[in-house]
Amino acid sequence: MRILIIEDEKALSESINEYLSVHEYTCEMAEDYHSAVMKIEYNTYDCILLDITLPGGNGLKILEHIKEDNKTEGVLIISAKDSLDDKIKGLNLGADDYLSKPFHLSELNARIAAIIRRKNFDGNSTIQFENLCIDTQNKSVTVEDNPVELTKKEYELLLYFVANKKRLISKEAIAEHLWGNEMSGSFDFIYTHIKNLRKKLMDAGDADYIKSVYGMGYKFTG
Amino acid sequence: MKLIAKYNRVNIPITIFVLLISSVAYYFILHFVLLNQVDKDLRVEQQEIIHHIKVNGTLPATSNYKDRQIKFQPTNLTHVKEKFSTESIYNKKEDEDEPFRRIDFLVTQNAQNYMATVEKSEQETEDIVQLILIITFAVIAVLLFILFVSNRFLLGKLWKPFNHTLNQLKDFNLYSTNEIILQPTNVDEFVELNETAILLTQKVRSDYDSLKSFTGNASHEIQTPLAIIKNKIEILSQSEHLDESQVKIINSLNEAASRLSRLNQSLLLLTKIENRQFEQTQGIDLSSVLNKCIENFQEAAELKGIDIEKNIKENISVVMNDSLADIVLSNIILNAIKHNYQGGNIKVNLDEHSLTVSNTGYEPKLQPAELFERFKKDSSSQDSLGLGLSIVKTIADSYGFPVAYYYREQRHILEIKFH
Repeated sequence: MRILIIEDEKALSESINEYLSVHEYTCEMAEDYHSAVMKIEYNTYDCILLDITLPGGNGLKILEHIKEDNKTEGVLIISAKDSLDDKIKGLNLGADDYLSKPFHLSELNARIAAIIRRKNFDGNSTIQFENLCIDTQNKSVTVEDNPVELTKKEYELLLYFVANKKRLISKEAIAEHLWGNEMSGSFDFIYTHIKNLRKKLMDAGDADYIKSVYGMGYKFTG
Repeated sequence: MKLIAKYNRVNIPITIFVLLISSVAYYFILHFVLLNQVDKDLRVEQQEIIHHIKVNGTLPATSNYKDRQIKFQPTNLTHVKEKFSTESIYNKKEDEDEPFRRIDFLVTQNAQNYMATVEKSEQETEDIVQLILIITFAVIAVLLFILFVSNRFLLGKLWKPFNHTLNQLKDFNLYSTNEIILQPTNVDEFVELNETAILLTQKVRSDYDSLKSFTGNASHEIQTPLAIIKNKIEILSQSEHLDESQVKIINSLNEAASRLSRLNQSLLLLTKIENRQFEQTQGIDLSSVLNKCIENFQEAAELKGIDIEKNIKENISVVMNDSLADIVLSNIILNAIKHNYQGGNIKVNLDEHSLTVSNTGYEPKLQPAELFERFKKDSSSQDSLGLGLSIVKTIADSYGFPVAYYYREQRHILEIKFH
């Protein structure tokens, strides 16, 4: 999977690159408007991460450019300008999603996975991880062909874990992913959710996928 | 009070007062002049009588016309000062007292003194005075009426540019790009007013724009370094070879960075709301936003054994920005879950007048008014910034919705009224 990161802040694009490269992604980076336009012109990507404020031009222009050329790339806007105007403009211009800075890399990763899943959806809507199988169409989960009954939040949590498999996910990122900004900062509910999810998965198969890491967060491993 | 009313309140009594005073004076002056005229006539009669006696040596014939009478009365007095006087004589024909002016003087004929009296009716002069007064009053009345009516129409017309300017200023909206359009006028005061209004709105707009761009820039400048810090911590925490002390440091860094990030976002949100950067003119379906919000937190509530009792009327439309509505409702519902005890309950009521959320919970340590202040919180809740309710209040205030909080019968009750 090829991903283009259009971001003028080098430290940020490097972090994104480093995090995504561990998964099956190959990242390319563009730091300004013109190099971004050139790269899009000559290459095809699965997903483009687009910052709105760029040296040399507005990121929304690039988005217009992509859409005019009928390119099929998924576009995820990442911007510090979390003003509603930009968000609405971006989504109206055909961006697939919008993420405002600062964000968790695990959240970014999950959103990219969701965009690519939607774009490449050709009859295959299942995600396989060892014995675990998630059907994103029916939102159903099986372990070793045993169905697992999950609540809505537990399902979202599992999907988030699988998208970020083998990586440490902070409690904060989980809280924000499940409930939005207002919940960040309180983790009581996460503990219970994870306890329940872990128990349900263990009851269906016998693998314990979710590992707690020193109180920093959780890791989903085989 | 309207300017015209205030002006009239002074102007009309003064006009009436001056007109009354002057008509009284007018009456007396007129009366005096006409009386003088009658006296002159009487004196002419007197001269004629004296002349007649001197030439003919006889008294002239007495006469008794309706409006002029001459009488002679023998008298022994030798010195009588001539005297003008007024008396009322009953007029049979008209059945009323008629005023007469008379002059009494002494004449001598054949060594016999006579008291001569010439009387002249004053009725005519009285009639003239009355007529003149009636005309005067009529003129005053007509004048006042015309003044009143013309003020109404003329002033309405004169103030038109002013009212137009006022309406334009009332409709002036910082968030729309429409400039105010003022009527051209040749009244100096209004020209000045219009020039000032245009200058002022331009200044307000440019100040507002620079404030807006500052807020946007500040947000960008702060969020980007924060994003880098947070992401680097996230990368660092992926490292396989961390010992316990390093994990502790990473945890502290992460907590501090997250806190700073939440704080920054909340403060920016508050500033933006106070700058009214969320313009909204259309109603949103608050019922569905509320239902979605409750659904989002339903499981969290269930984990705490909290029952949510919903009494939500469908299709309640409120003019509000949908993102802000979501923030308000999320904060309220989340608060009701957080500040609740295991196995408690929450009651959510929504109708066209208000939203009421009440939940079981322990008595708050803070005063109700303090709860809405920024950074005020119960010391027990370490994970909160103390901004939740303050954000709720700021958003509600920006739409003019009164917010009330009270603690009654072991329940926290939060109410937002829509009007």
